[in-house]
Amino acid sequence: MLLNVIATVKLGCRLDLNIIAHKARNVEYKPKVQKYQRRMIREPRTTATIYESGNIVCSGANSEDQSRVATRRYARIVQRLGFPVSFLNFKIQNLVATCSTFPVIRFCGFFTLHSYEPELFPGLFCSVIPGITATIFASGRLTLSGNCILEVLTILLLLRKF
Amino acid sequence: MNLIKGLQRVKALCRTLRVNREIEDLSETYYNQAYQHKSFIKVSLNKKEVLAGCCVLVSCRLLNWPITMGTISCLLDADSMVVGAVYEEMVKILNIKAPIINVTDVMEAHSQEYKISSVYVPEELAENSKDLTKRAVALVELAADSWIVTGRKPIPIMMAAIYLAWQSLKPTKQRLKYSLDKFCQIAKVNKHKPALKRITEMKEVLCKLGKEIPWVKEPVTPDNVVRLMEDILQHRDALLRRALRTHEDALLADCQASCEDSLIEETAPSQISEVVEQTPDLSSVELCESNAERAKQPGDGDDNQCAASEQHSYTQGSQDSSQNWGKRVLFAPPCVIHAKKRRVEQPEPKDVTGDEEISDSEIDSYIRTPREARDFALAQKMFSMSESEKS
Repeated sequence: MLLNVIATVKLGCRLDLNIIAHKARNVEYKPKVQKYQRRMIREPRTTATIYESGNIVCSGANSEDQSRVATRRYARIVQRLGFPVSFLNFKIQNLVATCSTFPVIRFCGFFTLHSYEPELFPGLFCSVIPGITATIFASGRLTLSGNCILEVLTILLLLRKF
Repeated sequence: MNLIKGLQRVKALCRTLRVNREIEDLSETYYNQAYQHKSFIKVSLNKKEVLAGCCVLVSCRLLNWPITMGTISCLLDADSMVVGAVYEEMVKILNIKAPIINVTDVMEAHSQEYKISSVYVPEELAENSKDLTKRAVALVELAADSWIVTGRKPIPIMMAAIYLAWQSLKPTKQRLKYSLDKFCQIAKVNKHKPALKRITEMKEVLCKLGKEIPWVKEPVTPDNVVRLMEDILQHRDALLRRALRTHEDALLADCQASCEDSLIEETAPSQISEVVEQTPDLSSVELCESNAERAKQPGDGDDNQCAASEQHSYTQGSQDSSQNWGKRVLFAPPCVIHAKKRRVEQPEPKDVTGDEEISDSEIDSYIRTPREARDFALAQKMFSMSESEKS
């Protein structure tokens, strides 16, 4: 199951975050503390971090297409506020997927690199292939994180058979 | 100058821990390398001190000297999360593959911290360090076998093991009355709150095994299981086998009882074998398989249908049962036995392409009306004025 898709897009213009904070709803902006704005939309249920440079980071979508729709909505909102936006370089940066494996994996035969520090974090980190990280928990839950959906889903299917 | 001071700090830490020369040299080498790296050259002095501790930690791990991150945090008087972050960064920069720490290896070093010998405490509370360590190690091994150790911080587990070991070595009324708080006070160690939960979990495991001891007639409860700990640990392999067998028999009895109550469905034998392949490898499934195999004997048609219905209903509920398989096995990670309720997944719209038309009315709901924007600006102004008046 895909849990989260993180994508970025460039709007091609600088933004005045004060104006956006005044004119738009569902915005969190603390100019004294942070130099970006957080906003959320209901459909798809996502959160965007908007920077003055015109970059947007969108997270919370459950699929690549949903992420694209959400990012376009954010761009459209900014456009309606009077900024000359473009939708440039949309890119999926990271995907997080999870599955339950049972019984609990005791032997990570094909994981090449692992890091397990129970004093810091209860899960075990494995580098499955370059670019994909797996986090395995004692409950049998496995979380995969990477930037290519095909690879992430392929590994999930392989693990279910394993 | 800071590099020299840092190296001196490394040496001081090594001497405090009484490590050998090899570890000291390796720590100094790593500190030199890490210090020159851009990630650490311009950080605060505190962080550099933490880096010194992390170099000692990783050197100890590489050369089989058991030590925990908690010990280094304690020596540096630093937050364990900060130490952890610096450690992770250092290991990444220097490309070090440190081996995973084993709790039983660290146990001996950890138990030395407990001032529980006759020099420090009265005779009735004193305990020989070797015996204490040996009993605690056995308890930790048992805890590891029963999924209590996986994914948990080691120090509360070790504390719980030492406390229970201390109680069980001389299970007098006085010792059994001592709470973990009091024990930590007399042993002059800082109490870790999670140790209380670990004690409960370990006692549960001990109770499950204690029930299998043939010569114990009275019911085994968490209050009286400490007295039986010596016997349990001595015969733990046999008791584990017995407990697993008893549990499987109980599950089989439940299976058969539920079979008699449920509706009987007719399924072909081939379907049974397909279903058996698809279901996950769990002890309860194996039981039902063996039940099905036994039931396939000629002249036992009712049981055969019963097994088929059991398999069919099991497949139907497989998604739910997979979420909480911990309740059907004797030992499972506590996070599985007491699984958190996950929020219901909302159905995803399947026809999303990413290039849908976005209507203006949709966007309007996220934009304030001019009046709303004015009111908001006014409210903000009043709020900032009242804050400036207060200050």
